[in-house]
Amino acid sequence: MAKINPDFKDELKKYGAFDFNACYNCGHCTAVCSLSTPEDSFPREMVRLSVLGLDENIQTSLKPWLCYYCGECSETCPRQAFPGELMMTLRRWLTAKYDWTGLSGLLYKSLSLSILFFVLLIAGVYYFAVSEQFNVEKIMHIGHYFEMFAIIGVFSIIILPNIIRMWYFTIVKSGYKIKFNTYIKKFGELIVHMFTQKRALGCDDNQIRWFEHLILVIGYLALLFTTVVLDWFGTDNDFIIVLGYVESALIFIVTFIFIFERSKKTTELSSHSHPSDWFFVIWLFLMGLSAFFVRIFIDTGLIHQNLWMYLFHLTVLVQWALIIVPFGKWTHFLYRSFAMYFDALKKTK
Amino acid sequence: MKNKIGVYICHCGGNISDYVDVEKVRDAVKDIEGVEISVDTMFACADSSQKQIFNDIKEKQLDGLVVASCSPKLHYPTFSAVAERAGLNKYNYVHANIREQVSWAHSDNKLGATEKAIQAVKAAIAGVKESISLEPIKIKSQKIVAVIGAGVAGMRAAKELADLGVKVYLIEREYFVGGRVAQLDYLCRVQETGKELVTRMYEAIHKHENITLFTGAEIIEKGGSIGNFKIKLKITPRYIKKDCNEDELKKAIEVCPVEVDDDFNFNITKRKAIYKNYPSEYPQKPAIDIKNCTRCGECEKVCSSIDFNQKEEILDLTVGSILTATGFDPYRPKENEFGWGLDNVVTLPQFRRIINMCDDKLIYNGKEIKEIAYIYCVGSRQVDGENKYCSRYCCTATLYTSILTHKKYKNIHAYHFNRGIRTYGKQEVIYDEVSQLGDIFLQSYEYDPATVEKQGDKTIVKVKDILTNNTEIEVEADLVVLVTGMEPRKDNSIGDVLKIPKGRDRFYNEIHMKLRPVETVIDGITIAGACQGPKNILESVNSALSAATKSYSIVNTGELALEPIIASVNEDTCTWCGLCADACPYDAIELINKNGKDIAEINKSVCKGCGMCLPVCESDSIEMSGFTNNIIENMISAYADI
Ligand SMILES: Cc1cc2nc3c(=O)[nH]c(=O)nc-3n(C[C@H](O)[C@H](O)[C@H](O)COP(=O)(O)OP(=O)(O)OC[C@H]3O[C@@H](n4cnc5c(N)ncnc54)[C@H](O)[C@@H]3O)c2cc1C
Ligand code: SF4
Ligand code: SF4
Repeated sequence: MAKINPDFKDELKKYGAFDFNACYNCGHCTAVCSLSTPEDSFPREMVRLSVLGLDENIQTSLKPWLCYYCGECSETCPRQAFPGELMMTLRRWLTAKYDWTGLSGLLYKSLSLSILFFVLLIAGVYYFAVSEQFNVEKIMHIGHYFEMFAIIGVFSIIILPNIIRMWYFTIVKSGYKIKFNTYIKKFGELIVHMFTQKRALGCDDNQIRWFEHLILVIGYLALLFTTVVLDWFGTDNDFIIVLGYVESALIFIVTFIFIFERSKKTTELSSHSHPSDWFFVIWLFLMGLSAFFVRIFIDTGLIHQNLWMYLFHLTVLVQWALIIVPFGKWTHFLYRSFAMYFDALKKTK
Repeated sequence: MKNKIGVYICHCGGNISDYVDVEKVRDAVKDIEGVEISVDTMFACADSSQKQIFNDIKEKQLDGLVVASCSPKLHYPTFSAVAERAGLNKYNYVHANIREQVSWAHSDNKLGATEKAIQAVKAAIAGVKESISLEPIKIKSQKIVAVIGAGVAGMRAAKELADLGVKVYLIEREYFVGGRVAQLDYLCRVQETGKELVTRMYEAIHKHENITLFTGAEIIEKGGSIGNFKIKLKITPRYIKKDCNEDELKKAIEVCPVEVDDDFNFNITKRKAIYKNYPSEYPQKPAIDIKNCTRCGECEKVCSSIDFNQKEEILDLTVGSILTATGFDPYRPKENEFGWGLDNVVTLPQFRRIINMCDDKLIYNGKEIKEIAYIYCVGSRQVDGENKYCSRYCCTATLYTSILTHKKYKNIHAYHFNRGIRTYGKQEVIYDEVSQLGDIFLQSYEYDPATVEKQGDKTIVKVKDILTNNTEIEVEADLVVLVTGMEPRKDNSIGDVLKIPKGRDRFYNEIHMKLRPVETVIDGITIAGACQGPKNILESVNSALSAATKSYSIVNTGELALEPIIASVNEDTCTWCGLCADACPYDAIELINKNGKDIAEINKSVCKGCGMCLPVCESDSIEMSGFTNNIIENMISAYADI
């Protein structure tokens, strides 16, 4: 017996959904979707659950993560119910549900709160620079340590518990009992999906986007490795220096293309952007670009007179690591990979 | 006896001549006495062949015509038109069917087929010989139409006819005009209320010199036939004087102690025995519902306009045509049907009245309504009941009602338990609009509909929703609205008085659903609006205008030409046994007394020449013009004479 909640639509609208109530259940969207299968049929089913407000059923479902948002369903929908955009919204909503701190939800729902957080972190970095009397070496040294601690801290305090919650909702609560062995056997799925997003290749007309994504993911992870472990800003090794340049350039070039597409609204998926989408691409772009310039400033010896360059980079980095990574769109990348992993687990039954 | 007969035998391009030796048939009949010419032709219906027949009739002065070809259903009208154009009376033309009845039926036996064709043509010739020229029966027609029912359909038809210069008697059973539309507030897709629409139409009718409106009036008897229907009109008085004092009448309504269920509000409120449905209602005088009035005299004490001396009147009227627009009744749910009988279950028409009465809060039975469950197709598309049809108006009307509630009240949640939404045509935009408002649609199959039950003081509506994988879904509703369909009027006695046939759905039946949609088998009686089947206003008015035009074509010239093939009684041999009158499906036969003798008389304008009366007459006193005993006997002899 399911009890419906007509006010759920108002909740979803705060996460960016619109017009999905217009759906008259024709199923065109599901028919046209190249990732939907008879066992995992979407997006109509998700539109229906959203209209009825059966939020429990959505919370325990992995289907929103199975969609890679090519936007074809929205283009086909005869009622302009934008099912693709609803799937995107559900991913935001799920992110908020998985997040034990509740901050994700607050930030998704309120743009002003997000801006306030960003501003507070600018102030924080400025305060830190003042307290270190604008000493370049010291600031860059602490900055490097911040990177390491942020990764470990955010992962263990926020991300890991949230993934455990996701596991609880989608596996335990939806009634699956899976053997430990199976978790090990299927672990490969997680790694493959995390690094390649290979499922997105299944989308029609999506090959270029997939390739861009792949470059971005690899570039991003590699740059993370290069700066944190190989200490790009501190090294004298020419190979590492060049490697960092290439990686950061790749990031800002690809994100620039994304930003361009989003602002031109060239495709269905780029025509409805939530603030969190903008934050994600712009900050990634700024990170790549500022890292690139910091290293140029180091190589040309300008950095001592121009500490602001590094402070700018540090601010972007702090905002990225403390807002966008734990509470913003970055987690999608992780949840999606885990969703594929959990889905593979469920399918063993 | 005709003795210059032209015989034309068709090959039908091979359809006939592949099996029938057409030349042999031609030669076999050419020497029969009375046959002037006998020719075969490749296609008798071709223009050139028609021209040849035309010329032969003119030049050879033919007095009879036989065409042997396909079924008369196909080309009888073609060749009778040729005969008429050439100046030959069309009743002197006889058709022989040698395709369906000969060549196609006997394609395995060419010799036999040819022989049968020869006999068929001989029989036709024998028939033509005895044929008599007939002229259409001309009758005078009254240039007056009675329109029954002053709903939208009736009022619109009356206005149209009156504008065309026809006198109209507009007959309304209630004391007020407007029918069901007067009971509606806002109408979908027009920015006008039902009342405004009715007011506008009433004003047009009221002003029109050609229209006489009777209210409280009903036809109790009908005689005569097309062109000259004799109707008896019973008029129940309002018991209010012509010149009345409005203020006093208001007081009279106040003091009346009798309270009865108010029909106008579908019994959710009470009204007095002296009443008016709403302040601006037309005609603007109240009426006394004499069946419920106790004659206590309270009203008379405060109002000088009351007049209990008014008497029921019977009027005899003669009209050329009758246009029936008596509308529909909303379906009344059976006890317990979808919770009917619970204090928070109402029908859609009732709900519309409730909305009309509640201004800024939707309140029913003292409780504020927020959660509304609509259950569709109640009394329509029934699996077990007899109403198999879809009532057409209700999906649209319900969705529109939901829009009204959202506009008028805050925080309404609406749940639509439907069996597939049918907002056909341009009304689809309303469905779209309602979905956008966030209303929720739940769908089930006809054999597994929603259920309504009371759990404590809660009303729960449950359904296995086929749009959500058959999940059982429940809604707690403050008010359940049963979307009731349309039914024929409970009191449809007028149909019996006029003898209008009903379809299996019990609505009045047209002659042909597609090609003759407003005529009935009773010549001169047309039907319009929802008395014929579920219709919205647009469709009702469409059919009203069409019926008006049909009725107009009957009365317009003041004269009618009727088919002369009808029965006639031999006054000498008839002894009136009454068997023929029983057999006649059109009630064309009546008993009359002529020169002291009881005999049957046939009403020429009612008889359709069907021939049902002929075989039952024991004294063989009935003849059918065009198919007299003489003609038929001659044809049979010729057929049998080999
Ligand atoms: C709740 C509801 C909402 C609706 N909403 C809409 C809408 O928004 N838009 C729309 O287009 N349609 C709507 N409709 C449909 C609309 O009401 C009908 O299409 C319309 O009333 C049909 O008109 P009618 O003249 O054929 O019949 P009626 O309105 O039924 O009128 C028939 C008239 O004939 C009279 N009569 C009956 N028997 C006799 C007799 N024996 N002698 C003399 N008079 C007689 C009756 O008293 C009545 O005045 C709605 C209907 C309902 C129930
Ligand atoms: S295509 Fe549009 S209307 Fe059809 S089921 Fe999908 S969302 Fe609903
Ligand atoms: S119009 Fe709609 S509610 Fe009415 S009978 Fe037809 S399908 Fe049912």
